[in-house]
Amino acid sequence: MTAQLAIEGLSVVFREDDEVRPLLEDISLTLRRGEILGLVGESGSGKSLLCRAVMGLLPSKKLQVTAGAVALDGQALDLSQMQGVRGRRIGMIFQNPTSHLDPVMRIGGQISEGLIHHKGMTAAAAKTEAVALLAQVGFADPARAFGGFSHQFSGGMRQRAMIAVALACDPEILIADEPTTALDVTIQAQILRLLMELRDRRGLSIILITHDLGVVAQTCDRIAVMREGRVVEQGEKRALLAAPQHPYTRALIASHPSVATAGDHLPPDRDHQPVFELKGLEVRFPLGGGLLRKRRALRAVKEVSLRIWPGETVGIVGESGSGKSTLARAMLGLTPITSGQVLFEGSDLAADRTATLRRLRSGAAMVFQDPFNSLNPRMTVGETLAEVLRTQGETPEDRIQPRIGELLDMVGLDRSFASRRPRSLSGGQCQRAGIARALAVNPRVILADECVAALDVTIQAQIVDLFRQLTATSGLTLIFIAHDLAIVRNLCERVVVMHHGEVVEDGPSSRVFARPERAYTAALIAAIPDIDPDRPINGGTPTPNTEELAT
Amino acid sequence: MHRYRFILFRPLQFLPVLFGISVITFVLVRLIPGDPARILLGTRATPTAIANIRAQYGLDEPMWVQYLYFLKNLGAGEMGKSTLYKIDVLRLIATRIEPTLALVATGVVLALLIAVPFAAISARRQGTLADHAVRVVSTAGIGFPSFWLGAMLIILFSVKLDWLPVSGYGETLGEKLTHLVLPGLTIALSLSAVLTRSLRAGMVAGLGSDIATAARARGMPEGVVFWRHVVPNALVPTVNLLAVNIGWLIGGTVVVESVFAIPGLGQLMVRGIFSRDYMVVQGVALAFACATVLINFAADIITVALDPRVEM
Repeated sequence: MTAQLAIEGLSVVFREDDEVRPLLEDISLTLRRGEILGLVGESGSGKSLLCRAVMGLLPSKKLQVTAGAVALDGQALDLSQMQGVRGRRIGMIFQNPTSHLDPVMRIGGQISEGLIHHKGMTAAAAKTEAVALLAQVGFADPARAFGGFSHQFSGGMRQRAMIAVALACDPEILIADEPTTALDVTIQAQILRLLMELRDRRGLSIILITHDLGVVAQTCDRIAVMREGRVVEQGEKRALLAAPQHPYTRALIASHPSVATAGDHLPPDRDHQPVFELKGLEVRFPLGGGLLRKRRALRAVKEVSLRIWPGETVGIVGESGSGKSTLARAMLGLTPITSGQVLFEGSDLAADRTATLRRLRSGAAMVFQDPFNSLNPRMTVGETLAEVLRTQGETPEDRIQPRIGELLDMVGLDRSFASRRPRSLSGGQCQRAGIARALAVNPRVILADECVAALDVTIQAQIVDLFRQLTATSGLTLIFIAHDLAIVRNLCERVVVMHHGEVVEDGPSSRVFARPERAYTAALIAAIPDIDPDRPINGGTPTPNTEELAT
Repeated sequence: MHRYRFILFRPLQFLPVLFGISVITFVLVRLIPGDPARILLGTRATPTAIANIRAQYGLDEPMWVQYLYFLKNLGAGEMGKSTLYKIDVLRLIATRIEPTLALVATGVVLALLIAVPFAAISARRQGTLADHAVRVVSTAGIGFPSFWLGAMLIILFSVKLDWLPVSGYGETLGEKLTHLVLPGLTIALSLSAVLTRSLRAGMVAGLGSDIATAARARGMPEGVVFWRHVVPNALVPTVNLLAVNIGWLIGGTVVVESVFAIPGLGQLMVRGIFSRDYMVVQGVALAFACATVLINFAADIITVALDPRVEM
């Protein structure tokens, strides 16, 4: 095999006035013809920046390539003159197709413009080519997709459209920057399979950037691990996963949710009344409608009945749009209930709203997905916690400072963090502060809504550990909402699977993951990319309602 | 095409809006102190003459009865007789509307011709001298009042250079166009300042957006990235800004028409106010309100055409 793309000693620095900060240091990598190279690392490790540098697309003039060379097919590339290479010889796709596709230009136009520009095709010839390409990436009605706009398609189809745009001029290399991170697990499996299929059919070489070792294990031939701007380890996939040399690689592998095992829990207490009891809960949102148009309603949660017992750790899983977040918000009284009942410790939210809300505010707390934006940027962590304690009014003024210290201890933050503001905290530290805030009211239940989705894997593992400790030691009830089934399998003893607003399966994790009763659950589980390359992704058979046109 | 269906239904919503505006202007005009009959006849008029005029124009009736008369006349295509001009206000408006519309249109076209290239230069050469120059000029443009700016333009182009007429409107199309240049420019200079700032902000954001990155990643030259991807996305919010400003401009022509002695609705409004000509004031106010409603309607249609995501 010959090296198709060779990166030799590439270094990039950030330069502003006198400040020079190295961002990439002495990176050497080769991509062989027809292979998929996985570039793994956490956010800030420089993996995206490396690909931008190779494309000549550094996001700011303050970033400069200071050393190194890149050769394509043995020919040195001038990284400042890449316009003819981009799209023509190296294509690129991105994490978020929604923001990268032009919303006001038809999908077809974005494919055609490359063909017209690079290959000098006529508009009509470009259209024929583009429609063929759309068919190839899996559009059932490619002619219609050609004339469609990106907002008319689901996330998975948008990613397929972006792949078609990137492949329009038949490049030899495709750089895929976290192409499946924003997608549901079953859609992720489909996109990964499409990439492998395209590699086989077109002899494409792919650099796949991801933070998920499971994705890499499933799709790549070789892996390069990056950390803090350096490649710490690279090698053939199986060898690297079986015998990682660098301690960081070992930590990364150990953090993968499919590796860790569920811990022990206190048995749930089913003798007393349930913490939450939902009876035929229904939440509808009015859709569109106007002065003269008929109102329609979206049934976000359909007839859900559920009991959650004290001390339980319940995972609620489902794909985006399955209604799991709405369910959580309805349980806390944050979203109006259309019909049905929510009972919190026997008190009915609909019938006796004021009293139930008061009980909920002191007995239940929520941890949010975005740890950074859910903290007030103007307040220090200590002030945020003090505010909650004062509002709750159960802690005497002179006990507040010691209590803040205790809370920080509980979530594993140093007490000095009390005087810091969110801006100076990392994502993981922010989420710990968010959990401390939730714990401040001394709740009996915590609802965590996708609270680790925005975090790096090693940090994810730490936060999951923290929850495990808290539930094991304090008898806390935890309702953990996530789209990541692997984490739920790890943390929760019971799992509730939601699909289109309904609960399709509910049972002990060990049973549900080993012997799912419903086909939907089975497909969801099979689509989890396992870190073991010999356990391929099976899922991803398109479910009729998730991959159609959104309109 | 269901996205354009609102064009059929939206006009129904105009009726209550216009009804509300007509009630408000009707009442407000009558709250102005001063008796129109007395102003019409002068200070030495006899009480009998004043009473006659009041009866002739229905001014002695209660206000709600006067409003009903007004509605009844409107149904017959009349807005009531102007006490000053002695003809129906609707006919009066019809003769005065053309110069105002022509003035606003000239102003908007000139403003766009200035704003789009300036914003483009400024956004594409961020931080350079050109960018700073555009910013200074547009800040100044917002700052200068139009009566001062108009006078300065007259001094420069009409008095010193003798290129363009000082004031008036003219009869033939050519005359009208030459008469519209300076007042149009007066409007355009302040309007383009607002537009330039909005467009520049949208273009700067667009140049750094994922959309632009993706277009560069497929090898599009910078000019294509800018004009084909950045500009159309930056236009969407500017259309609405423009609509709000045109609505404001139509009222603002009062000043420009006075400076340039253009016989438009603004001038008619000023005369009407000074002579307590109720019929004229409420008629012109209603015409301004209709124009504002229609312009926002047009802006909605353009927004729907520019942005496929928008549903009205």
